Amino acid sequence: MSGPTRRETLLLAGGALVASPFGASAQEQPRQGGALTVHFATEQRILNPSLQASTGVYIVGGKMQEPMLDLDEAGNPTPCLAESWESAPDGRTHAFRLRRGVTWHDGKPFTSADVQFTAMEMWKKILNYGTTLQQYLAAVDTPDPHTAVFRYERPMPQGLLLRGLTDLGYVSPRHVYESGGDIRQNPANTAPVGTGPFRFVQYERGQHIIAERNPNYWRQGMPYLDRVVWRVVTDRSAAAAQMEAGQILFSPYSSLTIADIQRLGRDRRFEATTRGNEGNARTNTLEFNFRKPELADLRVRRAIAHSLNIPFFIENFLGPFAKAGTGPIPSVSTDYYPEGAAPPYAFDRTLANRLLDEAGHPRGAGGARFSVRLHPAPWGEDIALFSTFIQQSLAEVGIRVEIVRLDAAGFLRTVYNDHGFDLATGWHQYRSDPAVSTTVWYRSGSPRGAPWTNQWGRTDEEIDRIIDAAATEVDPAKRKALYADFVKRANEEMAPWMPIEQIFMSVFNRRVRNAGNNPRWASSSWHDTWLAPA
Amino acid sequence: MRVLPLALRRLAASIPTLLLILAGLFLLLQLAPGDTVDALMGQMGGGDAALAAELRRYYGLDLPVMARLGDYLWRLVRLDLGFSAIYGKPVATVILERLPATLLLMTASLSFAFAAGMGLGVLAARRVNRWPDTLISTLGLVFYATPSFWFGLMAIVVFSVHLQWLPAGGFGDVAMGYEGWEAALDIAWHLVLPTLTLGLIFLAIYLRIMRASMLEVLSLDFVRTARAKGLTETRVVARHVLRNALLPMVTLIGLQAGTMLGGSVVVESVFALPGLGRLAYESVVQRDLNTLLGIVFVSALLVIAVNFLVDLLYARLDPRILSGR
Amino acid sequence: MNPWRLYLRSPTAVLGALLVLAVAAMGLLAPLLYPDDPLGLAGRPLQWPGDNPRFPLGTDPSGRDIAAQIFHGARVSLLIGFAATLIAVAIGIAVGALAGFYGGAADTALMRVTEAFQTLPNFLLLLLLVAVFGSDLRTITVGIGLVSWPPVARLTRAEFLTLRTREFVQAARLQGLGDAHLILREVLPNALPPVLVYASVVMAVSILLESALSFLQLSDPNVPSWGNLIGLGRNVLRTEWYVSAIPGVAILLTILGVSLVGQGLNDALNPRLAGR
Repeated sequence: MSGPTRRETLLLAGGALVASPFGASAQEQPRQGGALTVHFATEQRILNPSLQASTGVYIVGGKMQEPMLDLDEAGNPTPCLAESWESAPDGRTHAFRLRRGVTWHDGKPFTSADVQFTAMEMWKKILNYGTTLQQYLAAVDTPDPHTAVFRYERPMPQGLLLRGLTDLGYVSPRHVYESGGDIRQNPANTAPVGTGPFRFVQYERGQHIIAERNPNYWRQGMPYLDRVVWRVVTDRSAAAAQMEAGQILFSPYSSLTIADIQRLGRDRRFEATTRGNEGNARTNTLEFNFRKPELADLRVRRAIAHSLNIPFFIENFLGPFAKAGTGPIPSVSTDYYPEGAAPPYAFDRTLANRLLDEAGHPRGAGGARFSVRLHPAPWGEDIALFSTFIQQSLAEVGIRVEIVRLDAAGFLRTVYNDHGFDLATGWHQYRSDPAVSTTVWYRSGSPRGAPWTNQWGRTDEEIDRIIDAAATEVDPAKRKALYADFVKRANEEMAPWMPIEQIFMSVFNRRVRNAGNNPRWASSSWHDTWLAPA
Repeated sequence: MRVLPLALRRLAASIPTLLLILAGLFLLLQLAPGDTVDALMGQMGGGDAALAAELRRYYGLDLPVMARLGDYLWRLVRLDLGFSAIYGKPVATVILERLPATLLLMTASLSFAFAAGMGLGVLAARRVNRWPDTLISTLGLVFYATPSFWFGLMAIVVFSVHLQWLPAGGFGDVAMGYEGWEAALDIAWHLVLPTLTLGLIFLAIYLRIMRASMLEVLSLDFVRTARAKGLTETRVVARHVLRNALLPMVTLIGLQAGTMLGGSVVVESVFALPGLGRLAYESVVQRDLNTLLGIVFVSALLVIAVNFLVDLLYARLDPRILSGR
Repeated sequence: MNPWRLYLRSPTAVLGALLVLAVAAMGLLAPLLYPDDPLGLAGRPLQWPGDNPRFPLGTDPSGRDIAAQIFHGARVSLLIGFAATLIAVAIGIAVGALAGFYGGAADTALMRVTEAFQTLPNFLLLLLLVAVFGSDLRTITVGIGLVSWPPVARLTRAEFLTLRTREFVQAARLQGLGDAHLILREVLPNALPPVLVYASVVMAVSILLESALSFLQLSDPNVPSWGNLIGLGRNVLRTEWYVSAIPGVAILLTILGVSLVGQGLNDALNPRLAGR
């Protein structure tokens, strides 16, 4: 983990109390009441996390609905709606004991029928990433109202399932959805009915979302907050101004500009940190199209990697919260990060030039060897900066880069369906287990048109074998070893290349207490969050 | 006055134009790379190909283009603007939510530009070729040459960041929970900078027109007569000159109602206002065809309505016009 | 009086011409003064003007020299301005001439199309064109031309409507000259002056449209453009406001120059209205 642990943070904060009026002491008693105002940067079509797995949904729906499991401070799966679990040795059945005495916001009891319905109708059929995770889910048996047994056609590693059922394990009320006709059009999608600590009150498009304290919440005496108000502010500079004015107390998921995050981080009223986002790591990608003959040559791909001065880029453009990537599995993945991993391609312009010469691309008129088109994904300030940096760096070794700017729909269609790109750069978002979010970037045979999958026009039987073996390996130690092989192979072959590792940044007003106390805090339910007086 | 039949006739006359625009845009957006499902997948953070195919079927994107166009126009005949895939609700609702901000911004900017342009124009014309005239005319030229988004950004730097007098963006302050007059004041406060920004270029244009009309009218016979009859300068200006100079300015408002929506795209995005202009921009980016066409439809109706009002105003300002038709 | 002498007698018109010439000179001198790629990495990003003598106007968020981009950007702005104006004027004259000369059904049809274009906010249409056809320099220039012609068409049509009934046109018609000759040789030359004056407005609007587009990060990222810089500067507006401020001044002065030239031409070609 890159940020300090919670204990360290508490110690640091306690020590700071002497010097600073904003510090928190570990002995502080939580205060009841107050409204937490949250920056909401991307308007969402739906707010139900059983149907859509994205940070924009978790930040809201995650307070109203709850998942089967959550993560504890150390990042290990911990009970939420599921109290305990047991897996068969062959990995084909997994039984979950559900929490008793939990009710939905409309007063109906929460039972295994809800889990069964959500798993079969939402996770398996509609939820993005869920459809992949639950691909081989055959049935969910409900022997009694408080037991749900998941049966799989192929072995499902317990570690994968438990981690999967945090972000991809939000449960929806069967009685609301079963009778409501089409699931995708159910009114509860924008007015969630859940078991969580906060009840939905209002969603005013383009303005705000309001949720209030659930008085019947199953955790006694919680939540502490009276309300949560999400303020829709799409302009990042405007959001920073509102934080300074105290109108927003928390801005999640790197939604402010890099300059503003650094500026607010220096202000004693705020804390800019990666803490609480360790479960939301992302790597910047450089994707190669193997249909372009120059790029199909490994020497050219390596030359490109060697010509990018990643430490320089990080230091001058991204600031202290990014680091050089070591491969497709980021260092926050405690279970699968290979030991002793290091950035495999150092900055070496001479070597890059030599590799390009060897590959048979001599410098022509004006020093240019050949030209490529670079498609940057249209989200994220860092992607735009990185695409310019790639253009500048490759020009130095004689590769002319033309940046092709498209909007989201155009980018996804052109790169992942029409394959009309040479280089592309964007984010790979790591979702708690390589099998959920990462191997799909490398496994050949992805159907055309699915975004963020292997669209490079390349088949690598070796890496396919490793990926398939790891996906059904039930022994955690063997699984970890397989993923180390995967990283090694992925780094050697570079399809694609993941040169920078980042964790989403949160900016808190220091009045927000118990903030960031688990690795998926921004997504989690905030039942123990409270506000110190202004 | 037979206002209603006249209005209906106007509306009927513009139907072919409207159909041309809607069909043209519909076909144009078909050529764009990617569709609304691609945008949705982007918003969702990914999903597999089967999911994408199912969504396409769900939103009817797998049907032939012409069938969808026909379907759209047939629904339009029944005044149904359709459903927005991106916002997950009827387009009419989405537009109604965004309409107030844009209408408020446009009305405020036009009123500001009109009033200030008139005042400055009269002042300049009465001091023609002397220093107030030179100053005002130069200012007008500079306003005309200033890119509105840049003016907005610089205004934010000066008035919001450094002086901290005015809010940098947004449409009212939700968390404060204002009601009634307080809420209205709060919104007005947030609209000061956007209004100035959007109104600036129109101010420059109105100023020029007002000045020129004033000069022209001041040289006309009946004004000379009025002066000769011994009416004071102010009364001449108020009674005769203004009335006549207003005509071209009113005409211009009608012409520019459409342009203004284009301008509000940029201004709303500088000041993070939840208006129609930004909605239009977002619906292009997200390939949200129904919403885009809905906005164009509504704004075309607005333009027609404004022009109709302008005509009525025209008739009041100069009764000869209506009888001459 | 000779229009040229009239033009030169107006100090504002001369000032406008000087401004436009200065911008053109910047564009011409750019490759000499800044021979390196203006989009290349020049140094640490976000150095304030004056911090580093190498960068008199500072560096942008991507570590590129702002002064180099301002000089090279002058070429791009003027190029887009000229080319887009040419396209808009060409389409406008063609549509306006045909509608005004023939009248009747042709007029009605062409004016319906013109009306359709005018009802639709031109910036919105431009956004759409860029979304559909991509954002390289050529597309953007053509796009701006395509959305800017309707006022030119209206103006041309109005001129043609009054001119086509004049005696000299009637006389030429009686001589049995074809329509093409009548339009191109008889009517058009007389209709042209007001259209050319209006072209300066089209040019100013074209430059503004391009900068607004690049402000929204929708313009061609492979050419140095003033609007691009303003858009980039937005992320650092609170602290490094100069990134947005400097190119804005450049745009302002260019458009001011173009409008003053237009006004000067107008006064020179219509001496009756001079001083208005």
